[in-house]
Amino acid sequence: MAKKVANIVKLQIPAGKATPAPPVGPALGQAGINIMGFTKDFNARTADQAGLLIPVVITVYEDRSFDFVTKTPPASVLLKKAAGVEHGSGEPNTNKVATVTSAQVKEIAETKMQDLNAADVEAAMRMIEGTARSMGFVVEG
Amino acid sequence: MKWTEVNVKTTNEAVEAVSSIFDGLNAVGVKIENALDFENYRASNPAELMELKDIPHITEGAIVSAYYPDDTTNIDVILSQLRTKVNALVDFGLDIGEASITTVEVQDDNWATAWKKYYHPVRITRYLTVKPSWSDYQASFSDEKVISLDPGMAFGTGTHPTTRLCLQALEMTMRGGETLYDVGTGSGVLSIAAKHLGASDVEAFDVDDIAVAAAQENFDLNPIAKDIKVSANDLLKGINRPVDTIVANILSDILVPLIPQAKQLLNSNGYFILSGIIDDKLELVIDTLIANDFKIEEVLHYGEWRGVIATNRKDD
Repeated sequence: MAKKVANIVKLQIPAGKATPAPPVGPALGQAGINIMGFTKDFNARTADQAGLLIPVVITVYEDRSFDFVTKTPPASVLLKKAAGVEHGSGEPNTNKVATVTSAQVKEIAETKMQDLNAADVEAAMRMIEGTARSMGFVVEG
Repeated sequence: MKWTEVNVKTTNEAVEAVSSIFDGLNAVGVKIENALDFENYRASNPAELMELKDIPHITEGAIVSAYYPDDTTNIDVILSQLRTKVNALVDFGLDIGEASITTVEVQDDNWATAWKKYYHPVRITRYLTVKPSWSDYQASFSDEKVISLDPGMAFGTGTHPTTRLCLQALEMTMRGGETLYDVGTGSGVLSIAAKHLGASDVEAFDVDDIAVAAAQENFDLNPIAKDIKVSANDLLKGINRPVDTIVANILSDILVPLIPQAKQLLNSNGYFILSGIIDDKLELVIDTLIANDFKIEEVLHYGEWRGVIATNRKDD
């Protein structure tokens, strides 16, 4: 018989390097999950993506067993990759550090569509574009 | 240890941008509560048995939370920059909603032990049962071996698939009288099990001092394990005494460098039990074992996890 879902937790944490420190500890401890069990599973499954921040949705069941799925990388990670830079700008209004095209924004929006809760691609593109600009990226085209 | 939890209440549209702002302010990850994630969960997970009303969740907007250690000297500067950057998102075309920023002090004791109330005695193998140290569970049949554990913040409640695979492998290979190393001991559960299964001499190692302390406490809780030695050590570096069995429940990338060390320390035909191997890393571990002249005796499966029993091949 299927187990009943008791909680759903979403985190964004470094691949391969989850530890019991926050945000993992407080989020999962309060949900009743064995924290070290989760970090072992997560680190094993994401070891090959070390260095990336990975969104993860953890489903907690009534017996406090859990399952999790990793999601597409955060928009900021995909934008930096598309622009070929390692960091965004500390002063995004005045210091522009990179350029991305509308086509790249659309591609990222489509990649992340399922994870953005957006009504349509245009809404998803608005989120990605806003995130890009907040990082000091110029969006062209 | 205390932490400052910083919460930004915003909209679904601004979640990615706020998360990115926290990343730029040196937060190590974030927690995201998004009303739409809960609403849409059912559609993307139709097989799950759930009632949204029974699940704690927000019903509107989103909260992005990050944590900073209480001794962060520039927390006020971080909060000020956060405020400025979140408000500026409006200039970049994002709806930020109420954009309120709140802080809460949290103590790690509050979460580190919260899961314990859901931890109950579990029969893991034919002979081995693991029980929390605070449970008064007694063996229910004559040859049941009960391991008492308080894992604290160390890995190893006995219930994790990787631990189960190790316990099964120990039960399959041990006949009594063995000398054994437990590498990456965590809570010490495998060492205690080895003593129950007849090991004459067990020594445990872990690179993490928290695990060493937890293992020592658990050895003290189990009379049979009182003579197990435990120390902080990087895998088996600097260890010279040969043994009959080596067991290691670590992740694959750490098992790989352990393999040549184990080769040097295992007696002829001694068993090397490896666990913590996610399915797509099995080939790497097997190839490394074979390259080091180990013989693969058995591969154990539990969900997506694999365990390997190898022997130190004796030259015929």
